[in-house]
Formats: sequence, structure tokens, C-alpha cells
Amino acid sequence: MITLLKLKLAETLRAVAPLIVVVSVLQVTVVGASAAVFLQYLAGSVLVTAGLLLLLTGIDFGILPMGRYIGAKLAEKSSLSLLLIVAFALGFATTAAEPDVLVLASMVGDASQGELPSQPMVYVIAAGVGLFTVVGFVRVVLGLSMRWQLTAMYALMVALTFLAPSAVVPLAYDAGSVTTGVLAGPVVLAVALGVSSVIAGRSAVHDAFGLLGLASIGPIIVILTIGLMTR
Amino acid sequence: MNDVPLLADLVRTARGVALAVLPLAGLFAVFQLLFLRLPRTEIARIATGTVMASIGLFLFLLGISVGFMPFGRTVGQTIGAISQTWLLAIFGALLGFATTWGEPAVRILADQVEQASTGTIRRSVVLIAVCTGVAVAVAIGMLRITYDWPLFWILAPGYAAAIALIWLSDRSFVAIAVDAGGVATGPLANTFLLALGFGVAAAVAGRDPLVHGLGLAALIALAPIISVMLLGFAVRLKSA
Repeated sequence: MITLLKLKLAETLRAVAPLIVVVSVLQVTVVGASAAVFLQYLAGSVLVTAGLLLLLTGIDFGILPMGRYIGAKLAEKSSLSLLLIVAFALGFATTAAEPDVLVLASMVGDASQGELPSQPMVYVIAAGVGLFTVVGFVRVVLGLSMRWQLTAMYALMVALTFLAPSAVVPLAYDAGSVTTGVLAGPVVLAVALGVSSVIAGRSAVHDAFGLLGLASIGPIIVILTIGLMTR
Repeated sequence: MNDVPLLADLVRTARGVALAVLPLAGLFAVFQLLFLRLPRTEIARIATGTVMASIGLFLFLLGISVGFMPFGRTVGQTIGAISQTWLLAIFGALLGFATTWGEPAVRILADQVEQASTGTIRRSVVLIAVCTGVAVAVAIGMLRITYDWPLFWILAPGYAAAIALIWLSDRSFVAIAVDAGGVATGPLANTFLLALGFGVAAAVAGRDPLVHGLGLAALIALAPIISVMLLGFAVRLKSA
């Protein structure tokens, strides 16, 4: 654990250094924020660095192994319905719990001028993520072509973007980012790695990756569809 | 900075972290009880890691909301007011690269790629591809707000290019690229890049900060998909 922390310390410093340098240069050259705001920023970067160190170490040490255990067990059980339930729960719960999603849902409600209250909309968005997580896991288990799946999803997304009211479009794409949180993202990834490590003929590189991307298409398609229906 | 907003920040951040951790912990608890039955030492390891990651996430988000948010807004307003569009694009690209470089989920993805590919796809290569993609996206986003290009006319050709690259690129890079698009918009990007988008939209007359500022998120999510697949295309050409 101590060696892991030391390793991650070097990585953390390399991770935050460019941001601190770029922002400091901007401060000196063009921004010239008040000393109080800049000091606050420097204090914040100490917190961010310490936080990032613990976060990256903790995820490596405990959270990724947890996801891999769950994934491997899921594949071993070889019960498709269990896998689907867990995949849906994983996508749904992590999205519904994300505080940003509620804010976003109320903005979608305003932009689409619909009568949709925000709380039910949160569940609709979360269900969209859950559904796409399921689609992603089905692909891993059945070994379907990722190329066809992605081509169809992107084509659908662009078509919906064209048809949906333009006020909803930026919100929909912004929703794609709220689903893959700092903790939920690694867990989904680790579960997929675990699943693909157990099923014969699945390679980690070809099959485990791609799930996070699919999960973030989910809310985009769902919100665009809501926008289209309330128009 | 007086005490009351700080306290409110503390409570809000703690609540956010708890909401992010609890569903995952709950899922694991159910699994452990029903199927896994892992030994004590493994449970201790997972619990230690989870607590550590939660404290880390708390400090990280707190640092962002207390320290980065006010500064990010100032940066967005001052840079947004710059009238030379090319300078705006350069600053945007720099900030885009630097924020994505620090984004935790991007690093974890790059780490897992290196491990899963047993070192054949290097972590730093993935990182640089993702960050370069975001840098280009932010620069284009700045131009888009200034010249009022419709979002659809960037997204449609962008995703058309992505679909073409899905078929042209090396297969393993396709999956990684899609994931990279999913993780590129994290808390750091939201603080600095969206603030920049809002700042520029506020400075240019007739732009709705919500529509024009948020549109930047769509570009940031699209760019790494293309840049990582371009990398895969290059790898495929080289090995062919």
C-alpha cells in the first residue's frame, strides 16, 4: 500500500502539474484575478492534489478489484438474467444518485416546455443509462459486433439530433457526461473486465472496453427522444 | 470567503460523495452475501480502498468547488472577453489539454488499457490522444461560439467521421475510443472548460450561454472518439 501510494504520488503530481502551470501563466499574462481568488485557487489545488492521490490509490487498491470480483462471478454464474439485472442496476443506481442529474433534468423540462416534472425525468434518464449498460453487457456475453452496434447507435443519435428541438440538443449531450462519474466509471469498466476474463474467447481489449461509451450514449438518446415527443 | 458558504460546500460535497459511493457499496454487499463470500482479508482491502477513494473524491471535489470554481469563472470571463478569436482558440486548446490531462477517470481508463493490452498500447499514448482531441474540440468550440456555427453542422460530420473510422481503425482502438469519449467530460472539464464556454457566450452579443456554453460538452465528448480512432488507424496502417 505504501509503495502504491508512492507510485501514485508521482503520477498525481504529473497529472496536476500542467493545469497548475497553464492556469498560473494565464493568471500572470491575461487573467489577473484578485490575489484572494488566486490564493483560493492555489489552496484548492493542494486539496485537489491530495484528493486525487487518495482517489487514484483507493480505486486501484479496492474499487477495481471489487468490480472485477463482481464481473468474474457474474460470468461464472452464466445466468443471463442475473447479468442483465446487475447491469441495469449498476447503470440506473449510479446515475439516479448523481446530484447533477437532477439539475439537468429540470433544465430539460424547461427547454422542452413539457409538463415533465424533474424527479420522474431523473428516473427516465437513469433508466436510459441502465438500458444501454445492459445492451453493452449483452454484446460482451454474446460476442456481437461492436462496429455494427456503434454504427447504429451513432446514426440514431445524429438523426435524433436533427429532429429534436434545438434547445434540448446541448442538454442531451451534456447528460452524456454526467453518467460516467469518477467512481461509477471505473466500476463499470472493472465489472466488464471481470466478465470478459471468465468467458472463453473474449479478450479484455476487444470486449471489455466500449461499455462506458455506450452508457453515455444512453441518456443522450433518451433526452433527445423526450424532446422530440414533447415538441 | 466566509464560513457559511464553506460549510455549505462541505455538506454538499459530502452528500454528493455519499450518494456516489452508497449504491456501489450496496451492490457489493448484496454480491458478497449472496455469491462472492470473499475472505476477510479481501473485504478489508476493498473496504480500505473504498474509504480511501471516498475521502479522496471528497477532497478533490471540495478543492474544485472552493478553489477552482471562482477562479474558473474569472478565467472564463476574462478570456471570453478577448476579441482576437485566434487567441481565444489557443487559450481554449491549452486549457482543454491541461484539464483533461488531470481528469481522474481518463487516467484510470488509460491505466486499464495498458494493463489489459499487457503493455502493447501504452498509457501515455492514450492520454496524449485523448487530451489532444479535447484541445482541438475546445478550440473549435470557441470558434463556433464566436461565429455562431450551428451545433448540428459540427456534430453530424463529426459522428459521420467517427462511424467511418469505426470501420477503418484497429478494432481494439474502437472500444477504447468510445470509452474515452465517455470519460473526457469530468469535474475538471466542467469547472474550467464549461466556464470558458459560458464566459465566451456571455461576452459575445446574442449568444445564449446555456445553449452555446453547454454545446461545448458535446464537442468535448466527440473529439476523443475521433482522435483515439485516428491513432488506431495509424497503428493499423503501420502494421499493415
